[in-house]
Amino acid sequence: MILFMQQLVNGLSIGAVYALLAVGYALVYSVYNFTNWAFDAFMVVGAFAAYYCITLFGLPLPVAIGLAMLVTAGVAVSVEVGAYRPLRVRQAPRLFMMISAMGASMAIVNIVNLAFGGSFRKFPEISSASVELGGVYIGRMDLFAIVFSFVSLSALWLLLGKTRIGLGIRASAIDTVTAGLMGINNNSVAIIVFGVSGVLSAIAGVFFGAKYAVYPYLGLVTTKAMIASIIGGIGSLPGAVVGSLLLGVIETFVSAYISSVYRDLISFTILVLVLLFFPNGIMGAKTVDKL
Amino acid sequence: MSEGEGEFLKVSGLDVAYGGIRALHSVSLRVDRREIVAVIGANGAGKSTLLKAIAGVLRPESGELSFEGSSLPRQSYQAVRRGVTLVPEGRRIFASLSVQENLALGAYACPDRSAVRAALERVYGLFPVLAARKGQQGGTLSGGEQQMLAIGRALMSGPRILLLDEPSLGLAPLIVDLLFDTIAALNDESGLAILLVEQNATMALELCDRAYVLESGAMRLEGKGEELLADPRVRESYLGVGA
Ligand SMILES: Nc1ncnc2c1ncn2[C@@H]1O[C@H](COP(=O)(O)OP(=O)(O)OP(=O)(O)O)[C@@H](O)[C@H]1O
Ligand SMILES: [Mg+2]
Repeated sequence: MILFMQQLVNGLSIGAVYALLAVGYALVYSVYNFTNWAFDAFMVVGAFAAYYCITLFGLPLPVAIGLAMLVTAGVAVSVEVGAYRPLRVRQAPRLFMMISAMGASMAIVNIVNLAFGGSFRKFPEISSASVELGGVYIGRMDLFAIVFSFVSLSALWLLLGKTRIGLGIRASAIDTVTAGLMGINNNSVAIIVFGVSGVLSAIAGVFFGAKYAVYPYLGLVTTKAMIASIIGGIGSLPGAVVGSLLLGVIETFVSAYISSVYRDLISFTILVLVLLFFPNGIMGAKTVDKL
Repeated sequence: MSEGEGEFLKVSGLDVAYGGIRALHSVSLRVDRREIVAVIGANGAGKSTLLKAIAGVLRPESGELSFEGSSLPRQSYQAVRRGVTLVPEGRRIFASLSVQENLALGAYACPDRSAVRAALERVYGLFPVLAARKGQQGGTLSGGEQQMLAIGRALMSGPRILLLDEPSLGLAPLIVDLLFDTIAALNDESGLAILLVEQNATMALELCDRAYVLESGAMRLEGKGEELLADPRVRESYLGVGA
């Protein structure tokens, strides 16, 4: 039972990291109908920024995360303005957006690799401390990951549901042209959306880096976020959260009780099964083919 | 143009193309203050294209668009802020948002909250059915209610001129009468200028002060509403009456 609880918490903490990524991904997808293939790079930028804030400048974790969010949001907005906007303005096919995104991603990851080197870095000591809760030991970082995800996703929920800007984002997601007729500047909406997705990726990068290691290719895990998002229902934010927690918990249990060798196999099997029975994901609306 | 008022909306030599195919050829038109102007024309004549170009949704190849003496911005969100508001063809309600959210979006650019509240009251006064359904999803309204919502939403922006693209599309005659009465009243009471595009030529010509006939992307005729109603060419082609 103790092991079970322990694994559940582990699963929720990795699920929370997936949720940050999946929501960032779903948010961009719901507004622009395309997969932002560059958000693996955003995650890497976030992880490295926080790592060096702590190791080089000795900043406390919350400050480091805050700065990582800022830097990553900046990078995300630059990618939007430099790589996506010119294509969107010309109404280029989504395939071009995808290629542009992959290019941006490769460029960023390789710059990080060249600048800082490809070695695996252990996140500083804070990560190993743990708290005891009724016999269950919870890693402090796991706890932080769950709390941070919960707080930031709730904040996003309020932003989208309760503010004027959030209403503008939702309108832009439904119908960009008509949103423009309402006086909404769709380019400003894009900057906010990409900034938010950058912030979420940064938090995910920090906690993923803390759980495993900080290295230039840690962004590969965003594949899991896409799977989670598709399981939950592509473009649906609540779906992304549910899919992520589900995936995180299932993966952890598979690793703990069967073998970690099967973990990724199971992830993809779940994806296939869900799509077989719920073609639009668990909580998704109907969709058409989109890249 | 009447004296001493200055220019209002002026379109001159407008050319618009879709990927090389010309939709408008050197189109010129003007709307004066407090005026209702109609543009009639067959399917595909370019009526929607004209309104979209004025509202900044489409970028013209050449030509001048000016409003109150200075050129209109080339982005739709800026045109709205100047007081040029389009009610698009097919209404384009945000289907999954509530009636009230749709109306709030109309006032998106307005920073003054009390002005927004006053505008909302005014729209609810104009279309009481919207007040009764403010929590309902826009997409679940009937066609007539959606058109009221589209017009109400446009009024929320505090327009100086309303561009209406086929407000009668797909609606029962009774609702069309009601909408046209409302449009006339808006113009009459608050002096709101209207540029109306319609296939329902008789009603449009009866309502307007002046009208234009658009044919295959070019302006063919211009005149007072009643003049065009009596014009044999218009009667034959657009009013379904033998010459
Ligand atoms: N997005 C587009 N791409 C290519 N051609 C277009 C596009 N929109 C309109 N056209 C063409 O431009 C011409 C004018 O179209 P427009 O929609 O302005 O006509 P309309 O007068 O509004 O017609 P209707 O009364 O049917 O609404 C038509 O020949 C149409 O096929
Ligand atoms: Mg049209």
